[in-house]
Amino acid sequence: MARTLKDLRPVYVVGVGWHRYQNPSDISYVTLGVTAIREALADARLEWPSVESAYIGTALLGMAPGRPMLRHLGATGLPISHIENASASGSTAFRQACIEVASGLSDVSLAVGVDKRNPVRRESTGVDHLAEDAIAQFTHFSLLTNEYAHRHKVSFEDIARVAVKNHRNGAKNKNAQRQRERSLEEVLGGKKVAGSLTALQCTPIGEGAAAAIIASEDGIRRLGLDGGRAVRVVSSTARSERVYDAGLGFDAVLTKETAALALAEAQISPKELDIIELHDAFTVEELHYIENIGLCPEGHGVHLLKEGALDIGGRCAVNPSGGLIAMGHPIGPTGVGQIGEITTQLRGEAGARQHPGARTGLAHMVGVGAVCYMHLLQKP
Amino acid sequence: MEPTLLKPTLYTATGALLGGRCACGHVFFPMQTYGCEVCGRHGADLQPMTLTGCGRLLSSTVVHLHADKARTAPFAIGKVALDEGPVVRTLLVDPDREIAPGTRMVSRIVPIGDSTVDLRFALED
Ligand SMILES: [Zn+2]
Repeated sequence: MARTLKDLRPVYVVGVGWHRYQNPSDISYVTLGVTAIREALADARLEWPSVESAYIGTALLGMAPGRPMLRHLGATGLPISHIENASASGSTAFRQACIEVASGLSDVSLAVGVDKRNPVRRESTGVDHLAEDAIAQFTHFSLLTNEYAHRHKVSFEDIARVAVKNHRNGAKNKNAQRQRERSLEEVLGGKKVAGSLTALQCTPIGEGAAAAIIASEDGIRRLGLDGGRAVRVVSSTARSERVYDAGLGFDAVLTKETAALALAEAQISPKELDIIELHDAFTVEELHYIENIGLCPEGHGVHLLKEGALDIGGRCAVNPSGGLIAMGHPIGPTGVGQIGEITTQLRGEAGARQHPGARTGLAHMVGVGAVCYMHLLQKP
Repeated sequence: MEPTLLKPTLYTATGALLGGRCACGHVFFPMQTYGCEVCGRHGADLQPMTLTGCGRLLSSTVVHLHADKARTAPFAIGKVALDEGPVVRTLLVDPDREIAPGTRMVSRIVPIGDSTVDLRFALED
């Protein structure tokens, strides 16, 4: 029988860092990337030559951008791999770095996500579609919003409250692209993109970088790292879409399948989750995903949202970083940045965003394809 | 002169959709022979199957903004579960109105230019 991450040797996040997510600028991706990596190295109190392998999550920088960036940290000759997996590029880079350390091939590995907002190019499969050229991402999620509101008799105003919460969290995060609190009226009053979806309910276009350094117990001991600030990665789970019955949205079902595996692997129940960082590129997604992760029955997400259960200090802080809606979604960095937020929260170092007593966190990411990635992190 | 179909590999001039059926029973749209998403059979195990263009609306939305300037907003997109099984995302004939999920829908061939026609979905009569 195939093994899971937990069957291999333990792995820990020992350092995290960012370059702030921001509007597209003239700053090169090299500056974005090395800023995040240097911050992660400083956080871990580690020197670059101790890093034995590097995984670079990026989707929009073209072929092999990694070494031209990493050489400015000192060209140590370490193995470099590029990971492209759409929105889940960073999550996948993190998973590969975890596997590298868990397997014993490296004691210390780097996962870094970096991207600039370049045009997306996807080769044609040769299979045509009726109207895909007229369907942007926000249109797909507007369709889901329409479906969710009808099925569960939920108002568009209540769905928009996800954005109010996440903008409030992002306002306290110096690495967030959007750092401004927004009232429900502001969120609803903004520019309409499709259906009831307004601009402030959609993730912004941006750039940035995030880095996480993963180490084994041997690595922590040998390099004299602070084990007290290390956060254990207790599971890593990845799935891709199957064929589902008509009317079952693949976004929700794929998350449900992946969450069931992730929670079983770590032997954690949804009730034990203190923090969830999830793919809220559009407001309705947060409701879909918390329900399918198992925080509450389908259609009940709005109740939790309205009673404050998803706030920092509530039952489970969902997207305390601000999520994709406020922190932003520069693609490659996003999944790594989620790991950074959870690590910071579990260490108790999140300052104004700190969720009290945070012990267990889940990072959830979906990507076009569709693919779904989850990591569970725990304070040792 | 016969009008030109915008996407002749996907539908006929009467609004039927050009789907396929695998030997395993899986019905899909559009027709392809690369391989079946359910069982992996390929080539001659995948045979063309004409789909009627009748189905049930799963959801719809009116799009207010679109990056392609050639496509004037608003327009409406619907997700339709065809009676034969496949789910398609399609433009709706009525550009500025959401339709309640569950409504019966049918394909229509509509003019989109001087001599071009395209397939859209509308309420069943
Ligand atoms: Zn088949």
